[in-house]
Amino acid sequence: MNIKIALAGNPNSGKTTLFNALTGSNQFVGNWPGVTVEKKEGGFKNHDGVTIVDLPGIYSLSPYTLEEVVARNYLINEKPDAILNIVDGTNLERNLYLTTQLTELGIPTVVAVNMMDIVRKNGDIINLKELSNAIGCPFVEVSALKGDGILEAAEAALQAAKDKSSLKTYNFFSGIVEHALAHIEEATVHGLTQEQQRWYSIKLFERDARVLEELKLSDEQKAHIEEDIKSVEAALDDDSESIITNERYNYIEQLANRCCVKKNKDKPTISDKIDSIVTNRILALPIFAAVIFLVYYLSVSTVGTWATDWANDGLFGDGFHIAGKGEYETALETYMEENLFNNQQLGDILANAEKDGIVGAEVLGESFHSGDYGEFSENYDSYGANLDEQGYAVSKIVSPILDSAPQPSDYGKWILGVPALLDKLLLDSQGEPVIAPWMYSLIQDGIVAGVGAVLGFVPQMLMLFLFLSFLESCGYMSRIAFVMDRIFHKFGLSGKSFIPILVGTGCGVPGIMASRTIENECDRRMTVITTTFIPCGAKLPIIGLVAGALFGGAWWVAPSAYFLGIAAIVISGIMLKKTKAFSGENSPFVMELPAYHMPTLNSLVHATWERGWSFIKKAGTIILLSTIVIWFANSVGTVDGKWIFSADMDSLSGESLVQKIGNAFAWLFAPLGFGTTTATVATLMGLVAKEEVVAVFGILDFGGMNALAGYSFMAFNLLCAPCFAAMGAIRREMNSARWTAFAITYQCVFAYSVSLMIYQFGNFFAGNANIVGIIAAFLVLIFFVFMLFKKPYMKKGK
Amino acid sequence: MKTMAQAKIGSSVKVVRVHGEGALRRRIMDMGITKGVEIFIRKVAPLGDPVECKVRGYELSLRKADLDMIEIE
Amino acid sequence: MFKWLLLNWQSILVGSILLLGLVVIIKRMIKDKKSGKSCSCGCEGCALSSQCHGKDKKDSEK
Repeated sequence: MNIKIALAGNPNSGKTTLFNALTGSNQFVGNWPGVTVEKKEGGFKNHDGVTIVDLPGIYSLSPYTLEEVVARNYLINEKPDAILNIVDGTNLERNLYLTTQLTELGIPTVVAVNMMDIVRKNGDIINLKELSNAIGCPFVEVSALKGDGILEAAEAALQAAKDKSSLKTYNFFSGIVEHALAHIEEATVHGLTQEQQRWYSIKLFERDARVLEELKLSDEQKAHIEEDIKSVEAALDDDSESIITNERYNYIEQLANRCCVKKNKDKPTISDKIDSIVTNRILALPIFAAVIFLVYYLSVSTVGTWATDWANDGLFGDGFHIAGKGEYETALETYMEENLFNNQQLGDILANAEKDGIVGAEVLGESFHSGDYGEFSENYDSYGANLDEQGYAVSKIVSPILDSAPQPSDYGKWILGVPALLDKLLLDSQGEPVIAPWMYSLIQDGIVAGVGAVLGFVPQMLMLFLFLSFLESCGYMSRIAFVMDRIFHKFGLSGKSFIPILVGTGCGVPGIMASRTIENECDRRMTVITTTFIPCGAKLPIIGLVAGALFGGAWWVAPSAYFLGIAAIVISGIMLKKTKAFSGENSPFVMELPAYHMPTLNSLVHATWERGWSFIKKAGTIILLSTIVIWFANSVGTVDGKWIFSADMDSLSGESLVQKIGNAFAWLFAPLGFGTTTATVATLMGLVAKEEVVAVFGILDFGGMNALAGYSFMAFNLLCAPCFAAMGAIRREMNSARWTAFAITYQCVFAYSVSLMIYQFGNFFAGNANIVGIIAAFLVLIFFVFMLFKKPYMKKGK
Repeated sequence: MKTMAQAKIGSSVKVVRVHGEGALRRRIMDMGITKGVEIFIRKVAPLGDPVECKVRGYELSLRKADLDMIEIE
Repeated sequence: MFKWLLLNWQSILVGSILLLGLVVIIKRMIKDKKSGKSCSCGCEGCALSSQCHGKDKKDSEK
């Protein structure tokens, strides 16, 4: 026999923590209402045939948001064998309101009072026995975080499921209401089982539309119960819905006063103290801006860059030192001083070149005289070839000196990078591959270059995920919604839209799904469409790539990409709100602000690793396969009209398959400045997964893109249709093919417009405008401005 | 009729009735704002909307437009 | 034939390792796809993963 136990309770009451403890799984736990938006099932540890179902948090069984519908439908239609109702002990009144509704469902219920450790720490006392007597079901205490009492609670629920005789219904309402309920029961639902009658009669009393529809009452019956309801409403001077809600709360209030002794009623809690700073009228916005800036600055620009540089140059480059780095540097310095910087001949050549005004000669000369090898090497890489071409043979002198320079691997402990290690295995003493040349090329230029380019960004991503996990679990998320609501409300989104967007910086799929906490359909659709404008974890490498390769690692590129994302959301919000489809009623904003709590280091590390690991796994599967496909497509092609296969296609005067595909679509992106083969192929591959963009550049090279085109390329790839996984999520959330098509089309058109403006206006200010391009960009700009300032669409009759 | 939107920040008010209809009204009541309950209006958000208040021992955020539905003493 | 093997043994070795790796990856991807773990983004550890993971399980129950 399979027994199902449902975990139900208010949002953020700790259901998922309990679920993890009971099933041994590792679902994500956050500290904002609505972390769980879908029910989850798991087997009860050490108990065969017992399934635990984690339901989304609900405040009531008359649900309005989608996640609440999920929970209600499950409880009513699929009837679990028992309910384990998790109640936040620090907030008994509102939590018990749901409990009173759950006990009426006719399902055995056990109430687990969670966060008892905090209750005790506050010096409060809760009389569980008294509560149990007054509500009519067993109460047990647990502390999900510390793991106290969890198994006992589940055992109690299991016991209740097996022994249904314990089922009792209690009357929470005043005499007159109970009287009417009895009448309704008699007149309409006496055919149902004893346990179900009460729930249905209360719903009928409240005139719940869904239940009325479900029961298919005759007109006579309807009239009969209407009479009963009306008489109660007249007597209590209120409508039936309010009467039920009021009386439930009155009952609980009295109960709570009786059973719960609060020690420090009016003393401000730690949460209050934090909030007095964090949501302070003056400080709130600067603090928010600082937090966001810090998160992205740290994960992309500083710590992330160090780590990524190590990964790119060390692990996926020549190699790195784990000890003896200083020794090597001293040796190199001495060697260069003795051999390079005192080379009179080189000094003379550079001086002559400088005199003749050769590009780069001055800079190179300066670094030559300063004796800074790092700088010299950088400048030599940039300008050395040019000087050679102009007849100033610097490389003839420099190359032999560099060749016999100290090798890092001779000092301390040197670990070879992956490509260098493979070279050691696959090359013979003459530097020729011991395996077939095409296979060597496939491994080094295809797989290692492509997958390495993606994996190199793992440290950055881990940093970002770590910060996001912290923000999500400490309780700051709902404060952001609170602080930002006014702004978001202005352009047609809800403050709650900010949560999906922030979650979306990790991955777009959960971001899109987090939109379910938004009550209003219009706001929800708008959030689904705009969430992926914010760069997700997989788009982070694109930003890093462009910033590094075309902007010399400028610090402002990464924050500007996030700013671009937020601006795209704001502008889209304003524009879409003006259209007929989105001109809906304003949505309510009723949101709980949970108490802050410090997440445990363990849970943070776990959440970060979990996300990072699946990224690595993806690099090892789908991305690895794609790099092989791209390498292959780059190695077959036509030379003089004949199809051939060659690992060294670039040196032949033919056209590879990649080039053919790229050229076929390149015209599309030419107005945006990146009509090159590589950029086109990268953009197309980005639809499979955004990391592919970087993988493509690992195999093929930049070629012919300047900084402006690079920025335009980045903007397009950040804003256009997301990866297939995210498109699937949009499809599920929209639940309509038409809306999905609209969302994806809108994203692409918007991205195209933005990139067009960036490139064309950028060129205009750089002084080489293209007349047709600038006109097109100007028309787009006018359309944007028109939509931004246009009067909103008004429904008739308003 | 005096509504919660007119109440001062930092004051405590007592609810008389929740007006309006439909989902929003039910939602407000489900969150514990019912007849006779005491609400402490804690603060407004930096940009003037939503309002944070304390009801039944927890913190709740509501928009000013929605506060207009709540009649107070 | 033997001579050819002797000349190219390294290529054959590396080639078969590559092929083996590929087969394992593709098999794994098919298995994941079948068990519903097709959500390719970093969301397996997140709160909403049940939406993409274990979907087939739900379907088969119905």
